[in-house]
Amino acid sequence: MVTFYPRSEQFPGIEDMDLDAYIAQYRRECAPLMWAGFVLGTVFFHLTPLFTVYLPLPAYALSDEDRERHAQRLVSHPIYYVRQPVFLLKMVAGLLWGADPAVRARLGLAPYPADPGTWRTS
Amino acid sequence: MTHIAFREDDLALEVDYVVVGSGAGGATAANALARGGATVALIEAGPWRDPADYPSSTYGAMRDLFDGWGVGIAKGRALWPIVQASCVGGTTVINCAICVRTPEDVLLGWERDLGVGAKAWREGLWKHQEALEVELCAEVVPAASAGRSNLLAAKGAAAVPYDGHPMTRYVKGCAGSGQCLQGCKQLKKQSLNLQFVPEVMALGGTVLSCAPAERVLLEGRRAVGVTGRFREPVTRRKGGRFTVRARKAVVVAASVTRTAPLLAASGVKHPLLGAGFRAHPGTGVIGVYDEDVDMNVGATQGWASVQYRVEPGMKLETLSIPPEMIASRLAGAGAELVARMGDYRRMAMWVVAVRAEAVGRVKRGVFGEVSVDYGFADADMRRLRKGLALLARTHFAAGARRVIPGIYGLPYDLGPDQVGLIEEGPLDPRAYILISSHLFGGATMDRDPARGVCDEYGRVHGYEGLVVADASVIPTTLGVNPQHTIMALARTFAGRLLDA
Ligand SMILES: Cc1cc2nc3c(=O)[nH]c(=O)nc-3n(C[C@H](O)[C@H](O)[C@H](O)COP(=O)(O)OP(=O)(O)OC[C@H]3O[C@@H](n4cnc5c(N)ncnc54)[C@H](O)[C@@H]3O)c2cc1C
Ligand code: SF4
Repeated sequence: MVTFYPRSEQFPGIEDMDLDAYIAQYRRECAPLMWAGFVLGTVFFHLTPLFTVYLPLPAYALSDEDRERHAQRLVSHPIYYVRQPVFLLKMVAGLLWGADPAVRARLGLAPYPADPGTWRTS
Repeated sequence: MTHIAFREDDLALEVDYVVVGSGAGGATAANALARGGATVALIEAGPWRDPADYPSSTYGAMRDLFDGWGVGIAKGRALWPIVQASCVGGTTVINCAICVRTPEDVLLGWERDLGVGAKAWREGLWKHQEALEVELCAEVVPAASAGRSNLLAAKGAAAVPYDGHPMTRYVKGCAGSGQCLQGCKQLKKQSLNLQFVPEVMALGGTVLSCAPAERVLLEGRRAVGVTGRFREPVTRRKGGRFTVRARKAVVVAASVTRTAPLLAASGVKHPLLGAGFRAHPGTGVIGVYDEDVDMNVGATQGWASVQYRVEPGMKLETLSIPPEMIASRLAGAGAELVARMGDYRRMAMWVVAVRAEAVGRVKRGVFGEVSVDYGFADADMRRLRKGLALLARTHFAAGARRVIPGIYGLPYDLGPDQVGLIEEGPLDPRAYILISSHLFGGATMDRDPARGVCDEYGRVHGYEGLVVADASVIPTTLGVNPQHTIMALARTFAGRLLDA
């Protein structure tokens, strides 16, 4: 996820956000199918650098530049079923990154209030 | 006033009518039945969220309002998401409340081809629409809350030129917060959790929320009630069993993707149950302007064109989406993607909804998720390309510097002299990400029981006391936003039940 939305001059990166807490929350809250897709996408991302940047290493062991190249090649891969699992990862990461108060502030938007998660109980 | 949310112990009730699903169709049908003096139980799978409970972020909307986190998929050569809500008020809570009367050519086609809807029926439908417009405060988007994206679209369309107009929506005094998809916290949008459902309770009806119906109870060929188990919205833990007996009829309005599987699981037999799925799948072109557009300021959807509804068959609309949705919509990864997000404030997104010829089938997902077999026809892909190219031209006519077509295989962005690339773009659906939010069919109307599941009053052929009152009955695409049609159909069907 860090590879998709790294820190830049203009924006904080996803590494500046509480990614672990987010993943734990996502795991707890999301539909089981989405979690399964997320895990599969992550495994897929880590096992495929050999086919994108031609390095026999899992993605986590690549340099930042190679990992970014790997991510770019996966999201623009000619095979649809290669692009799709990675799209899910990118989407889940984007939901955190794009809603972060610091990112929103850079875009001239007020921070989101917390999502209450409440409902009528009676 | 009775509302029963999740509970551990069992519940048994008896009423005149049980209505399953509290969205556009279900809430309207329940409301009409309650106004007619009947006792009604309205059963909703999702929780009841009031505006104070609404989320603000897209993550929150997916978690709290969308049906199954929006992981419903239309499966053909490509996998395209289907978005619907699961909460009291149904998809009216997350939609943009655009209100368009059912076009006459559509209704004439139904009469001609399906024997559904003679003159009096049609006129009755429009009469209901007239009344609904008053009750739900249908209003043209006020200029003050239009927002720049909507104004630019109007300017671009006028310059191309083709017809466009500010939208009419069931919104009273829109504050232009651009948050329709997360629920309107400003209480301006007249979603049915705020409108018809409370009135059902005020008239003595009972609302069950967190209550997914598992089966319609049948005695022979007569529907006599509904049963299911309460489900806690966060943990999905099951609670007590509810059984609601219906003295007069069961009305099913659980949405296109849920109604047919529910009827099938209940033992309703009809070879066309689940068949005839249709949609208006859509996707957008982003224009990038020199000045800030701030598409999140103003009505989420405020401008539309129906000029091409019949030929080639598409509707054009503005649609504002927040940064966290754009973040995955833009191509690329890493520094390149983040740099692209730097343009967000200068972006405006406009969408084409294709009035697709393709016909699919609704199925029950293996894990209970929404599942539809649906592949786009070549002719639909050509419509899509035409629509996207026209949107790109509209952006340029409105002053955009470049457009982002979001089509796999095309450059990330295009200048004014490259619109031809969109027109000649790939016909492979896998090059596009389309979202379906206007859904039709699965239990379609036809006078002939061999050609449709329901008759023109939503009554399931061959069964007694069983009525479908949601978008499942709609036998063709409309080419316009469907809520107004669904609500008017639900009122028509409820009226017939009361008359009987
Ligand atoms: C993002 C978005 C924007 C849209 N914008 C517009 C717009 O501006 N104008 C317009 O006309 N249309 C719009 N639409 C489409 C419109 O909202 C839908 O066509 C309409 O709400 C469908 O009505 P329905 O009654 O068929 O189903 P829904 O409104 O989806 O209601 C079905 C309800 O049934 C419940 N349910 C499902 N299964 C069960 C079960 N087993 N037991 C109990 N309850 C169950 C669901 O939880 C849900 O609440 C939009 C849709 C989306 C997704
Ligand atoms: S734009 Fe904002 S104020 Fe207007 S209807 Fe949508 S959510 Fe409500």
